[in-house]
Amino acid sequence: KDKSAASKDSTPEGAAKRQEDGAETPKQQLLDIIGNMKVEVSYRKKLQQIKASENKKQAMNKLQGLDSEGSVPQGITEDAQRGKPLNPELVKAASAVASSLPRDKKQTESELLAQLRRHEETTDKQKKGEIINLRNVISEMTIKRQSPAQWGLGSRLTGRISLQLDEDGRRTRRERSSAQSMDSRRSLKVGKRLNIFTKASTEPEHALKTVSSPTIWDLEFAKEVAAVTAQPPRNGFEEMIQWTKEGILWEYPIDNEAGMEDDAEFHDHIFLEKHLEGFPKEGPIRHFMELVICGLSKNPYLSVKQKVEHIEWFQKYFEEKKELLQEI
Amino acid sequence: MAAAALGWALRAARQVLPSPCPRQVRSYYVDWRMLRDVKRRKMAYEYADERLRINAIRKNSILPKELQEVADKEIAALPRDSCPVRIRNRCVLTSRPRGVKRRWRLSRIVFRDFADHAQMCGVQRAMW
Repeated sequence: KDKSAASKDSTPEGAAKRQEDGAETPKQQLLDIIGNMKVEVSYRKKLQQIKASENKKQAMNKLQGLDSEGSVPQGITEDAQRGKPLNPELVKAASAVASSLPRDKKQTESELLAQLRRHEETTDKQKKGEIINLRNVISEMTIKRQSPAQWGLGSRLTGRISLQLDEDGRRTRRERSSAQSMDSRRSLKVGKRLNIFTKASTEPEHALKTVSSPTIWDLEFAKEVAAVTAQPPRNGFEEMIQWTKEGILWEYPIDNEAGMEDDAEFHDHIFLEKHLEGFPKEGPIRHFMELVICGLSKNPYLSVKQKVEHIEWFQKYFEEKKELLQEI
Repeated sequence: MAAAALGWALRAARQVLPSPCPRQVRSYYVDWRMLRDVKRRKMAYEYADERLRINAIRKNSILPKELQEVADKEIAALPRDSCPVRIRNRCVLTSRPRGVKRRWRLSRIVFRDFADHAQMCGVQRAMW
């Protein structure tokens, strides 16, 4: 502690300034460290971080001077972090930090404890889910400059269709949020990551992976929901859409190969001699089969599979009649 | 999964919501003769390929006659309802065997009835 005091005295800056800021910046640093360690960031933290960013230069200088001191409170804050629910450790830590500072130990201690208490309160509230930090949410969103105009247009357009309450609610919310976004434009991309949405997005993926087979109850529920939400068609267009989905109406522009999925090339349809390997090379049967193949190659209505089946049927038939044929 | 849900939704919607213009729903065939005709059509569809192939062997001048006689016997052995000749184009609504126009599958009386009530698209009383 003496070494740290000595190093503090040696820093070449105004004593008054340093003493005033000396009480503030270690607190800010402590809080910064706490904020770094914690995932949930509250509004208070945001303001303080903004302040910290404004006083960055001073803070950097302080850090250089207070490196030795920084290591001490870091250790203490780490202990404080692990023992968050336990208050006496916090108190001890606060008293240690206050004692390490040059002057006004009692004041700094009380201020530190008050801040920690407030911090605990906010974290508890967040855990319960009572605070909705709109600013934080919106500060993370990347907003284009056209968006307020778009929002205004959208609300006006949908106003006719939706209820008045919804319209007003949407408008007020959007106006508020747009105003807030205008205010906090500078600090949109400066602030820390909230890591709210990434967590939420990873959870349902896991849930989907685990549930593979939909149960009967899920199907029934889906059926119910669909039946409730499905409105009768309001006009002819919606009726036509419904018919197209059902399959009553064709899709326009009309696709001539709508039902067909024939991926075979023309040479598969025409050159069918390779299927004639099972037949004798001479004689009336061969003659007959060549005529059959000629007819099949000119047939555009059958698929390749059907043509092959045709030839195979004949092959099977003639094999069954082989004894009869040999008598002749 | 999404497709199944959509299918379920469509079927449910059809069952739950009433159709806008109520039509007569026919759940039975008009009479037994129509039912037998339906059965014959189904059988004819099943045996169509086989009959075609055996007939190709029969109606031939290349293959030996013994083979063709065997083919004759085979085709005669197939079920009687499988031949397409036994199908009669009856009226779809009244099952009338005679006076049926092929394009509309309706008997002349039903056709005239619908046409006079302007329910046949593009059909008009002739006048020249």
